[in-house]
Amino acid sequence: MADQGAADPGNNNNNKPEASEGTIIKVTVKTPKDKEEIAIAEDASVTQFKEEISRRFKAKQDQLVLIFAGKILKDGDSLSQHGIKDGLTVHLVIKTAHKAGDGGSTSASSSSSTQAGSTATSSSGANPSSTTGSTGSAPPPTQTPNILTGFGDLAGLAGLGMGSANFMELQQQMQRQLMSNPEMLSQIMENPLVQNMMSNPDLMRQMIMANPQMQQLMERNPEISHMLNNPELMRQTMELARNPAMMQEMMRNQDRALSNLESIPGGYNALRRMYTDIQEPMFSAAREQFGSNPFSALGGNSESGAQPSRTENREPLPNPWGPPNTSNASESGGTTTGSSTTTGGTNPSVSNPLGINPGSLGNGMFNSPGMQSLMQQISENPQLMQNMLSAPYMRSMMQSLAQHPELASQVLMNNPLFAGNPQLQDQFRAQLPVFLQQMQNPEALSVMTNPRAMQALMQIQQGLQTLQTEAPGLMPSLMTGGVPGIPTGGGIPTENPASSPSSAGTNAAQQQLMQQMLQMFAGGGGGGSATTQTPEVRFQSQLDQLNAMGFINREANLQALIATGGDINAAIERLLGSQPS
Amino acid sequence: MDQTGTYPVKLYIYDLSRGMARQLSPVMLGKQLDGIWHTAIVVHGKEFFFVGGGVNSCSPGGTHLGEPDSIVDLGFTEVPAEIFMDYLTSLAESTYSGDKYNLFEHNCNSFSNEVAQFLTGKKIPSYITDLPSEVLSTPFGQALRPLLDSMNINPGGNNITGQR
Repeated sequence: MADQGAADPGNNNNNKPEASEGTIIKVTVKTPKDKEEIAIAEDASVTQFKEEISRRFKAKQDQLVLIFAGKILKDGDSLSQHGIKDGLTVHLVIKTAHKAGDGGSTSASSSSSTQAGSTATSSSGANPSSTTGSTGSAPPPTQTPNILTGFGDLAGLAGLGMGSANFMELQQQMQRQLMSNPEMLSQIMENPLVQNMMSNPDLMRQMIMANPQMQQLMERNPEISHMLNNPELMRQTMELARNPAMMQEMMRNQDRALSNLESIPGGYNALRRMYTDIQEPMFSAAREQFGSNPFSALGGNSESGAQPSRTENREPLPNPWGPPNTSNASESGGTTTGSSTTTGGTNPSVSNPLGINPGSLGNGMFNSPGMQSLMQQISENPQLMQNMLSAPYMRSMMQSLAQHPELASQVLMNNPLFAGNPQLQDQFRAQLPVFLQQMQNPEALSVMTNPRAMQALMQIQQGLQTLQTEAPGLMPSLMTGGVPGIPTGGGIPTENPASSPSSAGTNAAQQQLMQQMLQMFAGGGGGGSATTQTPEVRFQSQLDQLNAMGFINREANLQALIATGGDINAAIERLLGSQPS
Repeated sequence: MDQTGTYPVKLYIYDLSRGMARQLSPVMLGKQLDGIWHTAIVVHGKEFFFVGGGVNSCSPGGTHLGEPDSIVDLGFTEVPAEIFMDYLTSLAESTYSGDKYNLFEHNCNSFSNEVAQFLTGKKIPSYITDLPSEVLSTPFGQALRPLLDSMNINPGGNNITGQR
């Protein structure tokens, strides 16, 4: 007993100068700023511990407050009493002699509670004035303290939540307030000042353009600035912003429209590009707009230009990955006023992340320089494609499409592009599984992301265009060579006064091109002729028929058939037309 | 004198996504996240939390997030208000100053965790502190990382040190 009880400094207390017994334990002492490991005897008293600590931390012992497991270690206690063992952490607060700080903080907190109560009102009060302040380019920081000093002596508390010196922060605040309180938003909307502001397209445009992300976006996409400058569009979108029900309706239309768009090969590119173009600015807009909820920013964010990126998007997120909607694309065609540009006035939702109006896109796609610029953009910026393609829900979208070919074909039939052309429809129906396959084919995807490949495609396409104007008869032979390309032949017939047969021919040529492109991709990328079916095989029956009719020049027959896409009558006309008469 | 001043300590947990994370996370991230958690410590009649501008405080439930989604009882602390404020002030000047905010690594939940340990010796529930790594372990989270890194969460309140 005596042995154990007696102090035995020689044994294991090498470091500890004080006479104490037991093992040394290492206790971490943590201050807010610092952390030290202190070796102390297991059964030391708190006083001894504090002595050691005051040495280490260079503070007076009575300034030290030790906390462990929520308890304050009093001097008379021992460490083991509190259960302080080896490797545990004890918290230390070094009391500053300065008591005024505490007094100040308590008063700060009491006025903070009043502030919390009034943040709601102050924010809504601040909103219109701060937004008008911005457009009037009055410096916002001077505005906000003025407003808020009315709500109690808060100007002194510079840490005021609402009183940020940064307008961006203020916006964030607004956003959060709005986000949490939908009633507030509708109140704000009803505020005549806000309504006035929103109905003034110039003002809105200014606001939008003041946003640096928007500016960046507009540099990259001149279409967006067109859209912004289109007063009709602005008005419409502002109307939308005011009217949630209309907004919902619009969103639904867009969702339907999107699913139609997916099935068009060229449109898919447009989709991708728009997605990435909008994805980036969406993100960057979200960055400055809304700090707390990355998901909401992505989900239903204000689109690239129609809504100012600062007002928030309120509509409920539609179910994005339910079965793809099938309904009339004609509705979607009617809902927007966009030009041939792809950003025509639509708001992206999760299922329509591109905010594309496919109605306008459908027409523009094959005719317009918009498509060209699209391709250019894609080729210039492979990163866009990458980002786009790597988005997980893109994959699931493609997969669900692939799994429901009947659904996709149904959607397709309604598409106005094909409505007038049953032949094209049939072709597409046949091609659909191929197309969907292609989308899953990583090689195809890599072609898309390869800028040189895209450039080459574009060149080919341009070459094809030229050829079509110059030598329509020559085209088929080129196409037999399996040249892929996005058909833009639709634009060419308008230039070509040689009228309908050739335009019919070029439409068929379009189809041909598309078919071949699809086949090529499905067959595993790379140039070369269509691997699945040569035109001869495809047109075997037609060739036979032509033969029977007396057209014995197989070569010419084949060319004609290719040019007309298997349409015998048109092929005959072609053959007859090309014969010297 | 041991029992004078035991103050209850609570953890207020808010879901910043208002339920959207619960719905959307399987789609977007590929895993189920029940919420985007923001936490605050409530003690001595006030709510304390770490935001992009520093350590803020307000009356409990007084941020615009409203009432918390859940409240976890962390137990009791003996630390009196004065010492606690000293402690917080030190924290706010050092490891939890405004510029140290990082949405993934050093956010409101890290603060709550540390304060909780200081006050009670207990940590906050791990599903909260694991959230950033959960998100970052998905490709989507990785892709969003640069964006998210620049964001910070600020539900309001006042900076305790009176600074911006």
